[in-house]
Amino acid sequence: MAVKLCFVTVGATASFEKLVQAVLHESFLAELEKHKFTRLLIQYGKGGQHIFDAYRAEYESGSIDHGVEIGGFELRPNMTPYLRMVQDDPANFQELGMVISHAGTGSILDALRAGVPLVVVPNPDLADNHQQELADELAGQGYAIIGSLDDIPGTVGQAVKQGKQAPFFRRGHGDRSTVPLTDELSWVD
Amino acid sequence: MASTPQTLWGLFLKILGLAAAIGVLILVVILVSLVISQNATLPKVRRRGTPVHVLVVLGSGGHTAEMFAILENRFDFSVYTYRTYVVSSGDDLSAQKAVDFEDTIAQRNKIEEPADNYTVVTIPRARRVHQSYLTAPFSTLHCFWVCLLVLLGRHPDQRPLPSQYPSVYPDIIISNGPAVAVCMIFAAKFIRFFIFCFRWVSGQASKPEISRLRTVYVESWARVRTLSTSGRILLPIADKFLVQWQPLAGHRAWWGMKRTEYCGWVVL
Repeated sequence: MAVKLCFVTVGATASFEKLVQAVLHESFLAELEKHKFTRLLIQYGKGGQHIFDAYRAEYESGSIDHGVEIGGFELRPNMTPYLRMVQDDPANFQELGMVISHAGTGSILDALRAGVPLVVVPNPDLADNHQQELADELAGQGYAIIGSLDDIPGTVGQAVKQGKQAPFFRRGHGDRSTVPLTDELSWVD
Repeated sequence: MASTPQTLWGLFLKILGLAAAIGVLILVVILVSLVISQNATLPKVRRRGTPVHVLVVLGSGGHTAEMFAILENRFDFSVYTYRTYVVSSGDDLSAQKAVDFEDTIAQRNKIEEPADNYTVVTIPRARRVHQSYLTAPFSTLHCFWVCLLVLLGRHPDQRPLPSQYPSVYPDIIISNGPAVAVCMIFAAKFIRFFIFCFRWVSGQASKPEISRLRTVYVESWARVRTLSTSGRILLPIADKFLVQWQPLAGHRAWWGMKRTEYCGWVVL
């Protein structure tokens, strides 16, 4: 059976426990199951370990029941392999999944490079205005969906609906021209 | 005897007036040089195929990541034949990334001795994290001084450039912030000011010469509607100011100065 992955990343710099909690909540998992996701992988970052472990203990006790396979890790230097696992790749038995990311530049760029549906969740505990501006602008141009912590389950349907017709599949990979510096070098005509 | 305090007071006022006049004069000279420098048209005298030396200032963390994404995707290394990477002391990660990046480039282009085409130079920080604002001006001056040495090719980490490079000065200086980039671009403009004065005094001002030490600043991709602090400082200084979002295009320091240029998402 093909794998359909939801990859969650909170980045390396700050902890984002509220997002880790939100994606381990039963309402979110039910939504993933409804949209035929088979796996949930969480890069839970600093301070996320205890939430993940608590969830796993509860799951192993048999009190929770759903069909999504869940994995997690604190941090790894290169996220590209995980973003590739989200891509639509029938040869590797992969269906197009989705990425839920904090509003950090590195993670957003990685997801845009992979060309996968992206939900950006700004961290309300970080007073960082330009990350919010970046998220707003990306959402305005259709590159990403803004998720708020009160309604993470709602983003699953939106990401699936945008899916392949979302603009990140059409734009962003076309123009590959070099940085315009020829006038600074001032070549002989 | 009663007049002594008054004469002293008069002398003080005179010195103050003189200092103010000198200050205003220096300010006018700086402003005029910035206007001339940003509006100058470069003589087209660089022959195609001649080697180009680019100096890349790596700002650490996200800045470094963005810079390598730009270099990897948007730079033709058959044009920019020699690279000098400048990293801040303690930022071993950026230094390592520079070496790794050069190794990848060399493998891709099947170059035997990649170490002949680049150097990595470590310079002190303008202001360390948590450093007092009292001592910061001194460390900034120190950083500026070391930047001058790097541009003059006299930093101990530098080896002599290969013989096909006629000048010790880098042709292009590219950076995307933060403080080290500001220091380096200031240093480049400082040297250019003296080159300009020297050429003018010695009567060579009209003779076309290959332009070097050209400064390019790329605003971070994360900056969508407002310029960063380094960006605002460098707006009247940098020769080319590139932005990656439309709302930031067309900014300029003041009337008559060069505008920022939109260049698309060069980090992608």
